[in-house]
Amino acid sequence: MLSRCLLAVAGLLCALARPAAADPKPVTLWHVFNLETDMIYGGIKGFNESQSDYRIDARLVPANQLNAELIKAIATGSVPDLVTLDNPVVASFSAQGTLTDLSDRVAKSAVVKPDVYFKGPWASGLWKGHIFAVPRDANTLALCYNADMFRTKGLDPAKPPQTWSELVSAAKTLTDPGKNVYGFGFSAMQAEEGVFQWLPFLYQAGGSIQHLDAPEARESLQLLVDFVKNGWASRDVINERQYEVTNTFMAGNSAMVLCGPWELPRLQKDAKFDWRLALLPVKDGKDIHASSLGGYDWVIPKGATDSDGAFKFIEFMSNPKILNEGWKTGRLAPRSDVVVENPLWPQAYAIYREQLQTARARGPHPQWPDLSRAMQIAEQEAITGARPIGDALADAAKKIQPILAKTPL
Amino acid sequence: MMPRRLLLRRNWVLSAAGVAGTAIYLFPIYWMFISGLKTPAEIFANPPTLIPLHPSLAAYDYVFMRENVLRYMRNSLSIALPVTLLTVAMGAMGGYALSRLRSRLVDLALLVILLLQVFPEALLATPMFIIFKLLGLLNTFAAVILATTSKTLAFALIVLRPMFRQVPIELEEASMVDGCNRFQTFRRIVLPIMQIPLIVVGALSFVQAYGEFVYPLTLLSRQELQPATVGIYSFVGAEYADWHRVMAFSSVFVLPVLVLFLLLQRRIVAGLTAGALK
Amino acid sequence: MNRRGWRFLRGRHPRRRAARTVPVGSRSPLLFLFLAIPVAYLLALVAFPVAYNVLMSLQDVNLGNIADLLRPFAGLDNYRAVMADPEFRKVFLNSLMFVGSNVVAQVGIGLAVALFFSQRFPWSQGLRGLLLAAWMLPALVVGALWKWLFATEYGVVNFVLIGLRLVPAPIHWLSDPSLSLASVTIANIWFGTPFSMILLSAAVAGIPLEPYEAAALDGAGPLQRFRYITLPALRPALLAVACLVTIYTMRAFDLIFAMTGGGPLDSSNVLPLFSYQFTFQQFSFGIGAAIGSFAFVIVFGVALLYVSTLKREATE
Repeated sequence: MLSRCLLAVAGLLCALARPAAADPKPVTLWHVFNLETDMIYGGIKGFNESQSDYRIDARLVPANQLNAELIKAIATGSVPDLVTLDNPVVASFSAQGTLTDLSDRVAKSAVVKPDVYFKGPWASGLWKGHIFAVPRDANTLALCYNADMFRTKGLDPAKPPQTWSELVSAAKTLTDPGKNVYGFGFSAMQAEEGVFQWLPFLYQAGGSIQHLDAPEARESLQLLVDFVKNGWASRDVINERQYEVTNTFMAGNSAMVLCGPWELPRLQKDAKFDWRLALLPVKDGKDIHASSLGGYDWVIPKGATDSDGAFKFIEFMSNPKILNEGWKTGRLAPRSDVVVENPLWPQAYAIYREQLQTARARGPHPQWPDLSRAMQIAEQEAITGARPIGDALADAAKKIQPILAKTPL
Repeated sequence: MMPRRLLLRRNWVLSAAGVAGTAIYLFPIYWMFISGLKTPAEIFANPPTLIPLHPSLAAYDYVFMRENVLRYMRNSLSIALPVTLLTVAMGAMGGYALSRLRSRLVDLALLVILLLQVFPEALLATPMFIIFKLLGLLNTFAAVILATTSKTLAFALIVLRPMFRQVPIELEEASMVDGCNRFQTFRRIVLPIMQIPLIVVGALSFVQAYGEFVYPLTLLSRQELQPATVGIYSFVGAEYADWHRVMAFSSVFVLPVLVLFLLLQRRIVAGLTAGALK
Repeated sequence: MNRRGWRFLRGRHPRRRAARTVPVGSRSPLLFLFLAIPVAYLLALVAFPVAYNVLMSLQDVNLGNIADLLRPFAGLDNYRAVMADPEFRKVFLNSLMFVGSNVVAQVGIGLAVALFFSQRFPWSQGLRGLLLAAWMLPALVVGALWKWLFATEYGVVNFVLIGLRLVPAPIHWLSDPSLSLASVTIANIWFGTPFSMILLSAAVAGIPLEPYEAAALDGAGPLQRFRYITLPALRPALLAVACLVTIYTMRAFDLIFAMTGGGPLDSSNVLPLFSYQFTFQQFSFGIGAAIGSFAFVIVFGVALLYVSTLKREATE
C-alpha cells in the first residue's frame, strides 16, 4: 500500500519535472488544394517537423465556398490565420481593410523579396502601395492540341496555329461532325472562368477592359462568336467550365482547347493520344503576345490570432525548394528564380513558363467581380446571339465606366 | 371480389409496370453507379456509353482507402440520428397540439413556423454562427444538430398536424373518461396509432439531416468532424473535380440510407398486415 | 379491393363516419406546453438569423463593416437597387415559374405514384422505397448527373431522343436560354417528387376503408371514388405537402448552382441563387439580403393562403 503511494508520488513528480516545453502554437490555415500531391501537404509536414514554435492546423475548404467562408469568418469575427485566395479577389478584401498589411514583414524577410516575383502575380497583392498578399503559385493559358488528329487531317503537328487566322482555319479543318469532333473548345460560362478565357484574345487584339466599346474588343469577341456560329466549337461552351471543355478534349471530341497547367496531371493519365501544347496564337498584324494570369495568393486576414506564425509558413512555402514541388500538380512558381530541373512534361513546362512572361493580372481592383460580371453578360449575350455584339459590349462598357471612373484599374 | 386467378394476373401486371417505371425513374442513379466505374474521360465521351467500357473499381478503392469514407459517414450518422430523435419528439408534441388547439392560435403558430423557413440556409448560416459562437458550441456536433433540427422540425410540424387530426377524438375522450389524464392518453392511445406517420416523418428527417451541407460546412471547421456531404468535396478541386471518385463516394453515401428505408418499409408493411389479420 | 388502412391496434372501436375532430377541452395546459416547446425552439434559433438578414437588407453593408451589427442605415435603397437591376425581373419571374411548376408536378406525380403503389402487388413496398434514392443524393451529385444527362453532345437524353428518332437534332437543354429553366425544373422535379410521394403514401394509408366499401355497394366507379372519397380525405395532407414543397423550392438553389450556375444569361437563375451571388460573389451584402427578403414576401403569401385553407377544415 505504501509502496504504491510512493510510486504514484514519484510518477507525479516525474511528470511535473518535465521541462516546461511550450506546446507549438496552432496556426489555422484554410486552403482549397485537394490533390494529395500538392506542395502544400509536403510543406505543412515539413514546417511542422522543422520547428516547434508553430503547428499548422489545416482545413480543406471546397473551392467554390472559400470566398463565402472567408466572408462569414470576417462577419463573425472568427478569422483563420492564413488563407489561400484566388488572386483577382484579393483586392476586394484588401481595399476594405480586412487583410493584414504585410509590408513590414516583407521588408524584413529574406525569402519573400518583391523583385524576385513576376510582376503580374506580385501586383495582385498590392493595394495603395501596401502589400497584402504573397503569391503562392501562378498559372496561365496555352493552346492544347491533339497531334494525332492533326496528322489525320493533314495538318503538321509540329506547326501548331500561331495566328488567329491559322487557328480558325485549323479549327475548320479539324471539325468533323461525323466523328463528333469540334475543332476548338473554350469556356464561355457565365462565371469568372469565361472572362478568364476571353481576356487573352481581348489583349491580343490590342483591346482593354477600359474600352470595351472599342473595335478591338469587338474583334476579340467576334472571333469567339464565329467559332460557335460556324459550328467549329460547341454551343455548350456557354455552359461549360474550363475543365469540362478539357474533358471533351480528353474524350476526343475537341481537337484544340485552351487549357491551364492544372490539367497536366489529368491529361497525362486520361488522354490516350499525342497531346501537345503551344503558345497562344496572336492576332494577325498585331503580334501582341498576351494571356490571362491566374493563381493563388497567401493572405493573412486582419484579426488573425497568430499572424507571425502564418507569415513564417508563407516564407517556408515561398522557398524555391518547395515551389519546385508545385509543378508536380501543374502549379507554376510565381518567382523568376525558380526553374524546375527535369520537370515533368518538359514541353508543357517550357511553353507555360514562356507564356507566363506575357500573362496579365486581372485587376487588382476592389470591384473586380462587378467588372467581370459585366463582361460575362456581354460574352454570353454575344455568343447566344441574344444581342448583337456591338450592343452587348456597349452595355458592358456603360456598366464598367462608372466603376473605373471611381477607381481606375 | 375478383377471382383469385385474375387478381394474380392483375398483380403481376402492376408489378411489371412498377418495375419498369421505377427503373426508368432511377436511371440517373444507375448513371451515378457506373460513372464511379468509368475513367474520367469516358464519363464525358460522345457518344455516351451505357455500359462502362473498362469497368474498374479504382475509384471505389481510392474512396475507401485514401479518403476516410467511414469517418465521414460516422460523422454524418452522429448528426443525423440525434436530429431525427429531436425532430420526432418535438414534432409529435407540436403536431398533436396543433391538431387539437383552437384555430386562431394554430394559424398564428403555423404562420410563424412557415415564415421562419423563408431564407435559404446560406444566408442563415452567418448569424447561426454568431449564435453558436456566443454559446461556445462551435466545432461541436451539438451546434450542427441544433441548427439542422430547426429545419426538419418545421417540416415535421406541418406534416404531422393533418395526420394527427385523423385520430378520432372519441378515442381520446373515451380514454379520459376511463380516468387517464391527457398526457397518458397521448402516450398510450394517440402515439401508437400515429406510429407509421411518425416513422415516416422520422425517416425523412433522417435523410434531410444526413444530406445537410451548409451548417456542417460553416459550423465545423475541424476536418475530423466533417460529415460526408462536406467530405465529398475532397474530390472537387479548385479547377476540376474527379467525378468518378465523387460518384463512387456518392454511391457509398446513399447505400446505408437506402437500406434503412427498405428495412423500414418492411416494418410498415408488417404494421399494416398485423392489423389486417384482425 | 383496396385492403389497406389502419387497423387500430388492440381491437378498438370500428370507425364510423368521418371522425369528429372538434377538440374538447382544448384549453388543456398540456396542449399549450406541447405547442410552446417546438415553437419556442424555432424562435430561439431562427428568429435572430431572420432578423439579421432583414436588418442587413436595410443597411449599407460592405466587408469593412459587416462584422458590426449597426451599420449605416440605407432605408429602402437596397430594395430600389434590386428592382432597378435589369436581371431582377427575369429572375423573379423565373422563381415564380420554377416554384409553380415544381409544386404542381411534384404533388401531382407524387400523388399518382403514391396511389399506384398503395395497391398491394408484389414488390410494391420495396419499389416505393427505392424511389426515395433520388431524394437522398447530395445536390452536388444530382446537379452534376443531370448536367451530364442534358449535355448537348455527350448527354444520354439527346442520345436516346435522337436514337428513337423523336427529334431531328440535338436539343440544347442547358445552353439555350429558352430551355435552361425547363431543364433545371425537370431535374428538380425528379429530385423532389419522392419526398411528396412518401408523405402522400403515408396519408393514403390512413384513409379509412368503410367509405370505399359503401361506395362500391352503391355502384360508384373508380373515378367517382377518387373524386368524392380519396381527394377530400387527402386534402389536408395535400395542402400541407404543397405548402412544404413551395417553401423548399423557394429556397433551394444548390441544384441549379451545380447544373447551370443560373445561366446562360440568368435564364435559369432564381431568387435564392441570385441572392447568393450578390452576397458571396459580388460582395454586395445588403442587396443580397434584400433579394432574399423578396422571397419572404412570396412565402408570406403562400403561408397566408395555406393557413386560410385550414379554416374550412375546421368546419367540416
